[in-house]
Amino acid sequence: MTFRDTFSLALRNLGEAKLRTSLTTLGVSIGIASLAGMVSLGVGLQDQFVERFTKSGLFDTVTVTPGQDLPGGLATLARGGRRGFGANRRAQRATPSPDATPLRSDLNDATIKELAGLDGVREVYPNVRAPVEAKYGSDSEGMLAAGVPMTAKDEGAFQSITFGRFFSDDAARECLLSLDMAKRIDAGSPQGLIGKDLILIHAAPGSGGGGPPSVEGGLSANASRVEDPYRIVGIIERETGPFGGSAAVSGLMIPLGRAKAIASATRALQQALVPERASERPYNALIVKVKHAQLVQDVEDQIKKKGFSAFSLNDALQGAKRGFIILDIVLSLIGSIALAVSSLGIMNTMVMSILERTREIGIMKAIGGSDGDIRRIFLIEASAIGLFGGAAGVVLGWIVGRIVNFGANVYIQNQGGTPGNLFSLPLWLIGGAIGFSVTISLIAGSYPAARAARLDPIRALRHD
Amino acid sequence: MSVLLETRDLKKHYQMGASIVRALDGVTLSVQQGEFVALLGTSGSGKSTLLNLIAGLDRPTEGSLRIFERDLAQMSGEELSLHRRRNVGIIFQSFNLVPTMTARENITLAMMFAGKPRAERDAAAGSLLEAMGLGGRQDHRPRELSGGEQQRVAIARALSNTPHLLLADEPTGNLDSHTSRDILSILKNLNQREGKTIIMVTHDASLAETYANRTITLLDGVIVDERTPSRV
Repeated sequence: MTFRDTFSLALRNLGEAKLRTSLTTLGVSIGIASLAGMVSLGVGLQDQFVERFTKSGLFDTVTVTPGQDLPGGLATLARGGRRGFGANRRAQRATPSPDATPLRSDLNDATIKELAGLDGVREVYPNVRAPVEAKYGSDSEGMLAAGVPMTAKDEGAFQSITFGRFFSDDAARECLLSLDMAKRIDAGSPQGLIGKDLILIHAAPGSGGGGPPSVEGGLSANASRVEDPYRIVGIIERETGPFGGSAAVSGLMIPLGRAKAIASATRALQQALVPERASERPYNALIVKVKHAQLVQDVEDQIKKKGFSAFSLNDALQGAKRGFIILDIVLSLIGSIALAVSSLGIMNTMVMSILERTREIGIMKAIGGSDGDIRRIFLIEASAIGLFGGAAGVVLGWIVGRIVNFGANVYIQNQGGTPGNLFSLPLWLIGGAIGFSVTISLIAGSYPAARAARLDPIRALRHD
Repeated sequence: MSVLLETRDLKKHYQMGASIVRALDGVTLSVQQGEFVALLGTSGSGKSTLLNLIAGLDRPTEGSLRIFERDLAQMSGEELSLHRRRNVGIIFQSFNLVPTMTARENITLAMMFAGKPRAERDAAAGSLLEAMGLGGRQDHRPRELSGGEQQRVAIARALSNTPHLLLADEPTGNLDSHTSRDILSILKNLNQREGKTIIMVTHDASLAETYANRTITLLDGVIVDERTPSRV
């Protein structure tokens, strides 16, 4: 018997019991819908997460800090070894190891050049946070102004500036605000701030200084207070990520050149005031941008070999991906419960069908149908239920997903969040769900099919 | 004429509760090609059991059963289904047509198992039904056909894979006397014109003597009488 004949015979048999077939198929489709829906929720959440990460521009970034400067736990991770207590004992063992590399903390312009020469590195710039006091109207607030390089214009969060534009040049007295910050300054119409001036006040050694010198109570006589107006040119919707600090959007952003100038003036003053506590290095951290996200690990390793601490989101992302795999497994287990129930439905339908068609099976055997022919007919009937149920289930899951997504987004928007696709149904999931449905149906149908094949033809022919 | 079928001390015993039923208890017979043999006997005599063994629907407990030089007792399940498909066509008392299929589909089903292509199946089923006088009833389901018509469909189905041997188990048991004669005439025709060997189980001795070349009477699983009717 050819496969085609077996297939058409099986379909015909299913068509003869339309109500039972369609109820069983509906059961399977609900099972598959719940499974596909659950997995698509997992995938959707992961996509959302990864998308926000990518938008944050941190995927191609390695943050470099001085060897000893990281907090204990991170330092251990970054250096791959343990310091602090016990470090001396380890040193005494005098075994050559990667730990033997001398630690470095010289984060300066020479190091920037050095790191820029590494393979796979696109750009290196310092992570500068200039302490300023921002004044708008009568209100003022102390904060750290993040220095943003001009090259960041087409990257991460700066790709889509909600209102306004990016800086015109590195030395411009311009600033960008996060939407949160803008709302804090003017809750009513944050976009109305564009074109207005924000006064940034910082301290500088008394001898220099652009603005009119003024003596503050806490500073000694040779310090001066500099006030510069910065034009607000743009507002960025803050994309929050777990590591929003280093290169992502900060509340207040100014061109890197400006931030460097402010920071160095502040440092000069600090050195003049308390020479013994002054930092010998100009920057606290460097941001290394990598040509491709895949090179992050490689560059990170090269930097670590030089004796610096390096950290990238790669590490966090690996952990997050593991978390999502676990989430997917849990969700698919929940979804599988319905499918398990519906596979029992398939088995029940097939067993009932055998009881009903016992005589027919006897006839088929009497006129030359082999055990294998009978088994195949029933297996194809079961897998056809799986195929149709799977396809219908994917459609059903998609529809339910859209509805839930719509409701969830309305809620998210009401809560002031950003709407997104919580359910994602990629091709592999569609194919996988249908394939899984067919497989489950085949497994559920294999017992009834074997039972049908084993029927004794004489008894089957006597069956009423 | 050559020997088509030969049994030697054929036995079929069933376990029924604590006792053993000796449905066949040592049957030795041979059937020549082109014969029309009637198996006579009361119910429980073992005639249907013998027919089922020849059909390959059941296996003997002991003895040999050779058809076309091959021993059915030694065949695997797969070989037995091949035997049913190629060597024999079976006609039942209760017709045994698939109720959800039309007359034509019932016939093509048998050819489907034999792996014949669709066009060939349809053409053969059409001409078989035509030959049985059912040309206009091809698309009717069994319940839309009379008993005689259903049995003619069953005969057409038995012939569909052109077997040499036709096995009929009380083919007229559910039919009135007029229709019974029609059906037996068809079988007789197939025997005489197309040279089909026919083994028919019946309890009607007069019908058997009218149409068969030879009658074999069984009682309690053994042959008690064998005769060749004078008028053929």
